[in-house]
Amino acid sequence: MGSEAVIEVKGLDVMRSGMLVIQNANFEIDRGDYVGVVGPNGGGKTTLLLAMLGMIPRHRGMVRIFGQELERFSDWGKIAYVSQDAINFDSDFPLSVRELVSLGRLSPRNVGRPLRRADWSRVDGALEFMGISELAGKRIGELSGGQKQRMFVAMALVRDPEVIILDEPVAGIDAVTQEKFYQKMSDLNQKKGITILMVSHDLTAVFCRMSKLICVNREVNVAEITPETDPNEILRKAYGEHFHFVFHRHECKGEFKND
Amino acid sequence: MISPEFSIIDLLGYQFFQYALIGGSLAAFACGWIGLFLVLRRESMLVDGVAHTAFGGIALGIFLGIDPILSALAVSVLAVLGIGYMRGRGLAQSDSATAVMLALGFSTGLIVISLAGGFSVDLFAYLFGSILTISQQDLVLVSALGVVVLAFLTLFYKEILAITFDAESAKMMGLPVRTISLIFNLIVAVTIILSIRVIGIILVVALIVLPALAALQLRLSFRRTVVSTVLIGMMSTILGVLVSAYYNVATSGVIVFTMVAVYLVVAVYVRLG
Repeated sequence: MGSEAVIEVKGLDVMRSGMLVIQNANFEIDRGDYVGVVGPNGGGKTTLLLAMLGMIPRHRGMVRIFGQELERFSDWGKIAYVSQDAINFDSDFPLSVRELVSLGRLSPRNVGRPLRRADWSRVDGALEFMGISELAGKRIGELSGGQKQRMFVAMALVRDPEVIILDEPVAGIDAVTQEKFYQKMSDLNQKKGITILMVSHDLTAVFCRMSKLICVNREVNVAEITPETDPNEILRKAYGEHFHFVFHRHECKGEFKND
Repeated sequence: MISPEFSIIDLLGYQFFQYALIGGSLAAFACGWIGLFLVLRRESMLVDGVAHTAFGGIALGIFLGIDPILSALAVSVLAVLGIGYMRGRGLAQSDSATAVMLALGFSTGLIVISLAGGFSVDLFAYLFGSILTISQQDLVLVSALGVVVLAFLTLFYKEILAITFDAESAKMMGLPVRTISLIFNLIVAVTIILSIRVIGIILVVALIVLPALAALQLRLSFRRTVVSTVLIGMMSTILGVLVSAYYNVATSGVIVFTMVAVYLVVAVYVRLG
C-alpha cells in the first residue's frame, strides 16, 4: 500500500448557520485507503465531505487534493462523489440506466463532442462490474434503492477516478444488498486500487472491511483499523462515553483488510 | 370550411401554404427539443416571460421601422440576461425575475403603442401568429435561427442533460455549467422568436411545453423521448395548419388544440394501456 496522501486536511473549521460544525479537523487519506466515516446523525459527516470538496466554504484551515491546494485543484476527473441525495432524483426523469451512467464520461475535455465507442464500452464495463447490465435499458425511476446506488457508483466508475467518495450509499437498503454493495466496494479498492471514502452507519462493515476510520462529531478523530484496534476506544470519542459497540471479529469471515 | 372546389391537395400547391408547413415544422422541431429541457428544468414559465418581453421588442421594431423579429430578438436576449443577472445576484428567485421581465417588456410595448397613437394591425400577427402569411424572408430568418438552435442542441445536448439532471454534480465534473446555462437561455430566446410568426406571443408556450409533456407520458429513454417530443410537435403543427386551413379558423388556436388533444390521448392511452 502506498503512502502518498491523496487528500490532506489541516486545521479545518466549518461553520453552518453560524454554528461550528467541524472543529479543527486534521487527517490524511492515503492512496489505496478504504476509509469509513462514522458518527452520530447531525455530527457533521456530510459537512466534512462537502467542505473537503470545496462545495461549501471553509471557515478556517487547509485542504490539499493530490498535493494541490483545493482552490488550485482542477483535475476533478480524479475524484468521484456520490451524494446522499443522489438517489432522490425525479423518478419521472426520462433517462435509461445506460444513458445516465454515460453522463459520467463527460468532462471539460469532451464538451461539445459526442461520446465515442470507447466511452460506451466503459459504460457497459461499469454496468457489468456493478452487476446491473440487465438494467441498462430500464428507466432510472423504475430501479430499487440498491439498484440506484449501484447505478450511481457505475456512473462514478466510468470517470476512471482515483478516489470515490460515497455519502451513506447503503441507507435504507436491505442487509443482503448492503453486503453485496460492500463486497463490490472491497473489490474496487483491492483489485482496482481505488481509494474509497464512505460515510456509513454500519460499524461492523466498517471494522471488518475498511483500513481507516474517521469519527466525526464536530471533533474529528482518525484511527487505523487493524485486528488490534479497540473499536470502542475510538467510537466513544464521537458517540459518547456510554457507547458500547459489540463487535466479534469472527463475524468478519476473514474480511479484515489489514490482516 | 374552404370552398368545395379546393382540397388540401390544392392548398399544398400554393407557395404560402408550403412556407407555412416548412416554417411551422422547423419551429415545432426547435421548440419541441428545447421545450423538453425546459419542462425537465421546471422552467416552462421562462418561455411565457420571454415571449411577453418580445412583445415590447416587436412594438419597438414596428415603431422604429426595423424588422420586428430582430428587435424582438434583441429585447428577448436582454430579458434572458436580465433574468440571469437577477438570479445570480440574489435580487430575485427565478419565477419572480421572470415576472419582472414579463411585466417590463409588456409595459414597454404598451407605452410604444400609445406613443405611436394606436394599436397597429401588424401587432396582431405577432400576438396571435400568422403562419399563412410567412414570407420568403421570414422563412429564411426562421431557418437561420432554427439552424443555430439545432446546432447548439446537437453539440451540447449531453452537457445540458447532465446540468438538467444534477447541476451540482455537473459542476463537480468540471463542466462549464454557468456558460452552458447562459447560452441555453439565449437559445430559448432565439427559439421563442423564431416561433412567434408561427403561433404568436401568447401561445408560444404551448408549442414549447405541450409536445414534451405528451412525450414524457410515454416513459421512454431520453433519446426516444426527444424523438417523440419532436415528432409530436411537428405532426401536431402540420395537422393544425391543415385543419385550420380546411375549416378557415385561427391556425395558432387549432395547433394548440391539436397538441392538447394529443397530450390527452397519450395520457389516457398510457394509463389504460
